[in-house]
Amino acid sequence: MSVSTPARRTGAAKAPVRGSGNTPGRRFRLGEPGTAWLFMTPALVLLAGMLLYPIFYTLWVSFSDFDLALFQPTGWVGWKNYEAVLKDPGFLESLKVTGIYLVIALPLQMILGFAIAFLLNVEWRGRGVLRALFLIPMVVAPVVAGGIWRMLLDPLWGVVNYTLGLVGVGPVEWIGDPTLAMASVILIDTWRWTPFVVLIAAAGIMALPGDVYEAAKSDGATRRQTMWHVTLPLLVPVMAAAFVVRWLGAVKMFDIALAATKGGPGNSTNVVNLYIYEKGFRGLEFGSASSMATLVLIITMILTYFLFRISRRLENRW
Amino acid sequence: MRRSLRLAAAATALGLTITACGSPAPEVSADGGGLGTAENPVSIRVIANDAFAKQWQDQLVPEFNKKYPNIKVSVDGVPYNDQLPKTMLELTGPTATYDVVLGDDSWIPQLAKTGGLMDLKADVTKWTDPGYDWADFNPSPLAAGEWEGKQYAVPVRSNLLLMLYNKTLYKKAGVKEPTAETTWEQYFKDAEKLVQDTDGDGKTDAWAIGTYFTKDPLTPTIWQTVLNSNGVALLDDNLKVAFDNETGVKALQTHVDLLKYAPPGASTYQFNEPLEAFRQGRTATMFMWGSVYKGSAVDKASTTLTPEEVGVTTLPAGSAGPGAHRGIWSAGVAKKSQHPAAAWTWLQWVTSKEGEKFTGSAFGTFPARNSSLDGTPPAEWAVPVYKALKDGYTVVDKNKMWRPRLPESDAVQQILALQTSRAMSGQATAEQAIDQAAKDVTELLKSKGYQQ
Repeated sequence: MSVSTPARRTGAAKAPVRGSGNTPGRRFRLGEPGTAWLFMTPALVLLAGMLLYPIFYTLWVSFSDFDLALFQPTGWVGWKNYEAVLKDPGFLESLKVTGIYLVIALPLQMILGFAIAFLLNVEWRGRGVLRALFLIPMVVAPVVAGGIWRMLLDPLWGVVNYTLGLVGVGPVEWIGDPTLAMASVILIDTWRWTPFVVLIAAAGIMALPGDVYEAAKSDGATRRQTMWHVTLPLLVPVMAAAFVVRWLGAVKMFDIALAATKGGPGNSTNVVNLYIYEKGFRGLEFGSASSMATLVLIITMILTYFLFRISRRLENRW
Repeated sequence: MRRSLRLAAAATALGLTITACGSPAPEVSADGGGLGTAENPVSIRVIANDAFAKQWQDQLVPEFNKKYPNIKVSVDGVPYNDQLPKTMLELTGPTATYDVVLGDDSWIPQLAKTGGLMDLKADVTKWTDPGYDWADFNPSPLAAGEWEGKQYAVPVRSNLLLMLYNKTLYKKAGVKEPTAETTWEQYFKDAEKLVQDTDGDGKTDAWAIGTYFTKDPLTPTIWQTVLNSNGVALLDDNLKVAFDNETGVKALQTHVDLLKYAPPGASTYQFNEPLEAFRQGRTATMFMWGSVYKGSAVDKASTTLTPEEVGVTTLPAGSAGPGAHRGIWSAGVAKKSQHPAAAWTWLQWVTSKEGEKFTGSAFGTFPARNSSLDGTPPAEWAVPVYKALKDGYTVVDKNKMWRPRLPESDAVQQILALQTSRAMSGQATAEQAIDQAAKDVTELLKSKGYQQ
């Protein structure tokens, strides 16, 4: 086996390799594509095992009856699981809850993230420390974050209500009230993920070309005009990338809801992935859970496709 | 051709990898893996609840090893809400990671239905100690490990939903202490007075009740107890919904009404929160598993209260008698275990008179054996507790106060938990919640082949 360029291969065909003792025609060579495939094989096997196999297995389970005793799908049931899922009010409600969460949480995190990044971009003493501190929420496990915030928001023992009480507000039932519970989940998620947007935004801001600003300045552009007509258009690709990455992360969120509210009160914070998790790993209804997961995957892929198109259009517009 | 060969080779490699992942467990030797020797000790693993797994590992295992030094036991703790699915996956998997599995009261039928548990009165008899006294078990806790006539598990941690009360707060409020005869009407009358300002600063600092209120499968056990104490079961003998009536609505409403007398934020109370509130002297009563008594009244590290301050009795009475709810942790031996002899030996010791004596004294665990219940309690504080426990066993047997004995029990509890949460948060009235729960439970049972 050898790795060789086409030129070397031609040479090798003309003269035997020194010391090999083999004739050139009998030597086994994979050639460049073969060698490339050889090196890619471990990664492809891993990819197939870790990504494609679970996806196809989920699809298979979604069209089957799942036998718990054998712990494998048995019997093709066609669209039965999908029909049941589409009639399941809990699933439809969880999609709605997820929609509410995404519509509020994502723009909030994007706006906050970029606003903070702009503030951190200005020279001031201690911004390096603050930038480092911003990383802390990202390294806290989501379940821990949910648990800690649950304690902070507790009406009797929590510091948030204690502080509000000092100015005569409360006690507020942050987790016990259906509307406030969703607000709390969004708050915890925003606390956890805004720093990620800040990081991406800060990197984008630092990479902005200085000469464009000099040109804007010499053209007499005001700060506001520079912001609207130079900075923001240049940052659109970064914003689009950050949004798509956050979207993909947010759409699979369930751990914070599980730790903080368990999807309650009622179904008010029961996001779709939590619903699927409960259905699959608590109710052990793997057929239904797989159908739901497949539907969510399809919906996510369609929405992601449109998000990519929108972001590309925005990039071209500016 | 070469391309096809490459593809075939890759497919074979992948296939072999997948097949290797699913290879069946090896056969167990005739001696059940033996009990080990000093040179070759046997290791077994136990999956338990994280509320007591560490205690077991740190104290119970060393005590067991005094008698069986060659059986090494590892106890892994799992949070309550993850334990059933994890155990199910464990029992249905191709190989056994755990030799001994623990299950809450209502889980045993579901675990047994997998076929992954041994029948302890048939499959392991050759390793059963002749002195192991089956007849000594109180029938109530033993029944928790039984399903369809087979004994799949033995009680390792007996428990009942009981009422713990703070005598000091009762005295401060000028209210007579509750007894087994206290009715729900009387309890609510007292509750009004038990919400009080104990230090005279003009602010309420003590409340009447702390218990489960949040969205959790154990939360409905409170109103199920009210329902049962009024003589109504969750499901009738034909496994049809029996709570979709006035008694059911009244039971759920009683649970919802308790929230009025609970501390702020109590709607999120699960297991730990009411415990903390009670142990800090913030709540006068707590409807909770009796096994928390020691940690709430005796252990200085976990409570501000003393045994003299903490009383225990059954839950307020309905028309059919006082309330209680069975919650027995039982343990069984996994069929795929490579060391069933050692696993069963461990379980026999834990559930023996000797084992019960140790767990009762060290952890305050309630016994399941009549000889332990009728004998001398491990400490002075346990005297009134064992009395309440015995009363409770009688009550639960009389009014069938347990969760449905079905493989679908957890799914039923999940439905009830959701509807209870809706009622608690005002998203539905008690009537609407009961109505929806009845429909959903009926639908669930129908889909599982039960005639409805």
